[in-house]
Amino acid sequence: MQTLSLTQADNPLNRPEPVLLTQGVLRVVRFQAMASPCEVLFAGLDDEQVGVLGRLAARETWRIERALSRYLPDNPIARIHAGRGQRIAIDPELFRLLSYADQCYQMSGGRFDVTSGVLRHAWRFDGSDRLPEQALINSLLTRVGWLRVQYGEDWILLPDGMELDLGGIGKEYAVDRVLLLLLHQLQQWGKTLAEGQFGVLVNFGGDLVCSGPPPDGQAWHVGIEDARRGEVAIQTLSHRHGGLATSGDARRYLVRDGKRYGHILDPRTGWPVEQAPRSVTVAAATCTLAGMMATFAMLHGAEAEVFLQAQKNIQYWIQR
Amino acid sequence: MQLINDKREIGLALTAATLTLLGVNAPLAEAKGKAGEWDIDTAVLFYSETDGRVSAVEPVAEFTRNYDDDRKLTLKAVADALTGASPSGATPSDQAQTFTRPSGKGDYTVSANENPLDNSFHDTRGALSATWSSPLGDDYAYSVGAYGSGEYDYMSLGLNGTISRYLNNKNTTLNAGLSVSADSISPEGGIPVAFSRMALRANKTEEAFQTEFDASRQGSSDNKTLIDVLLGVTQVVNRSTIMQFNYSLSMADGYMTDPFKILSVIDDTPGAGLGTNAIGADGNAIYVYENRPDSRMKHALYWQTRHMLDNGDVIDGSYRFMIDDWGISSHTVDVHYRYMMGKSYLEPHARVYLQSEADFYTRYLTTTEYNGGTPTVTEATADYRLGEMLSGTLGLKWGYHLTEDHEVSVRGEYMKQTSTGDEGIGALATQGLYPDTDAFWLQLGYTF
Repeated sequence: MQTLSLTQADNPLNRPEPVLLTQGVLRVVRFQAMASPCEVLFAGLDDEQVGVLGRLAARETWRIERALSRYLPDNPIARIHAGRGQRIAIDPELFRLLSYADQCYQMSGGRFDVTSGVLRHAWRFDGSDRLPEQALINSLLTRVGWLRVQYGEDWILLPDGMELDLGGIGKEYAVDRVLLLLLHQLQQWGKTLAEGQFGVLVNFGGDLVCSGPPPDGQAWHVGIEDARRGEVAIQTLSHRHGGLATSGDARRYLVRDGKRYGHILDPRTGWPVEQAPRSVTVAAATCTLAGMMATFAMLHGAEAEVFLQAQKNIQYWIQR
Repeated sequence: MQLINDKREIGLALTAATLTLLGVNAPLAEAKGKAGEWDIDTAVLFYSETDGRVSAVEPVAEFTRNYDDDRKLTLKAVADALTGASPSGATPSDQAQTFTRPSGKGDYTVSANENPLDNSFHDTRGALSATWSSPLGDDYAYSVGAYGSGEYDYMSLGLNGTISRYLNNKNTTLNAGLSVSADSISPEGGIPVAFSRMALRANKTEEAFQTEFDASRQGSSDNKTLIDVLLGVTQVVNRSTIMQFNYSLSMADGYMTDPFKILSVIDDTPGAGLGTNAIGADGNAIYVYENRPDSRMKHALYWQTRHMLDNGDVIDGSYRFMIDDWGISSHTVDVHYRYMMGKSYLEPHARVYLQSEADFYTRYLTTTEYNGGTPTVTEATADYRLGEMLSGTLGLKWGYHLTEDHEVSVRGEYMKQTSTGDEGIGALATQGLYPDTDAFWLQLGYTF
């Protein structure tokens, strides 16, 4: 095992340095980000190459986390919040994410809303029976509504009191971006996937994407938390193509009068989506797409299965 | 989600939106050939023959617009500025020789024992082409294109189309192509009459010269048409090797003579004058305008193999064999090797070209063949490009990827060409009839 050192600029959040270890024919780089254990699996590449790629992966992940986290005092999201109704400059990446959020809002009929994060002030999904006061929900709902956000290619205007939370996109986006970045670097080295000599899998807490099957043509085996048991249990998953992501958390719910309230909120009512599955896992072409398909399925509540059955080119697993 | 009832539509739209987020506009994921963007290739080529004969500056710009995975529009613009001198076809002599410029306006004199070059060669050319290519169902693809180029005295317009058929999971591609073009030439001074004498000013009045010059012309312009047919197969041999095999047939009809090329008439009468320029009744040496057949049919076979080595280096070799009904056959062997060095690459290049002469190629006409102005031959040229020749080219290209899509490159090539043939009779045998040509290219390119 060795640690990969990064410069202060590449590790702005002062996270522990990534470690590189060997597991059989694979090399693995592990680090912490986005409140998840992050790991990147490499096949067919040597220590030196994996060292370079591992640093790139951590740097890119931390860069995205630093840019999108709503918990940091001095980042673009904090500046937007501090803008209090003034236009704030944004970079092209944030513009793309906002445009994506906008399309998801439109396609979901307003159920996917990146301004709905303030509702967490009312809801604590701690397994208890404490439902919030409707008055509190009503007051928070006045601070929710994507359509009130104005933005352009290089600016955004977030009304005072509203919050922007890209957490519903950020992790899966980071997973895909890290893979693209690593493939880009490999291509610079003259290595192309068509050669079938290497493979990469990026896994951030069970949201993952791979470059294709590993060189032996078999599957990747990834340990993920089994959300269905509602406890920390690990199961191994075989994965060969594209991305995989899970929406839902069986441990985050409330129960009142025998009715279960899951943690997926409908921003139009301020209440949990009724009859939403406990969790939805989707396999699709990319991690971001898998994550959004899973989120949309959750937002469909009782119709989650109907929604997923209508889709092409995905696989899914639903836990109710 | 009542607003959109068709849940599959939502999924498709979501897929598209996600790809946009991750792909098209994202700098890292940007790759050439992505939809909705222009790929632009620019280059400037500097060409120089080492003795300063011809130099050229040629800016090229190519724009490719990708509409989706396979549909694209390519526009290409080329501008040439050529200056310098080219061999006129006349033989060197132990006497200074004076020639009339092709326009008839003015003369130029070549010193004794010098190879006659026509230094009035100066031209600018502009060319534009557009090609659209697109799939046609799952198993076919086609392309159609148009081409136009114009220069001071030459115009060419063409249309072309190809159709490809994919077989074996796209591992095999059959290609068929057709192109037609119509060219017209209107040289300054008009089209010379075949084998007419080049009018010379010495020993006569300007009026007499002009009468003689006019008699050597037959109109101001002429045309030719070209039809090219190509049949080919491209085969993916394995993950790292691809092979291509083409047959092409080219048929040209019309005026293919070079109006600026002449032949010297050399005295073949045994005696002191053997091998000297024949002198006409006006006391001047006799030079006649060349003449070529008005049709030409070429067959060519082409084989290319490209192989990627385990370390990422690429070797690319090709061989071309051409034969035509002018009696010319040629062989071309071309090899490139690309060393990958991280963000940059180095690509050495070697090429060998061997050509036999046309049936009607001759370094000069004898007085017997000239036959007092009624030549015994119907076609003749002394253009070295139709003679027996061997040329070798060595080149080196260095390219650097600034980012995935931005590449700068520098290419340098050196070519040496030697011609061989009849060494001449009598006095002519002491002259160097086949000077070597050395040329140097430098190309700077920027792709973005």
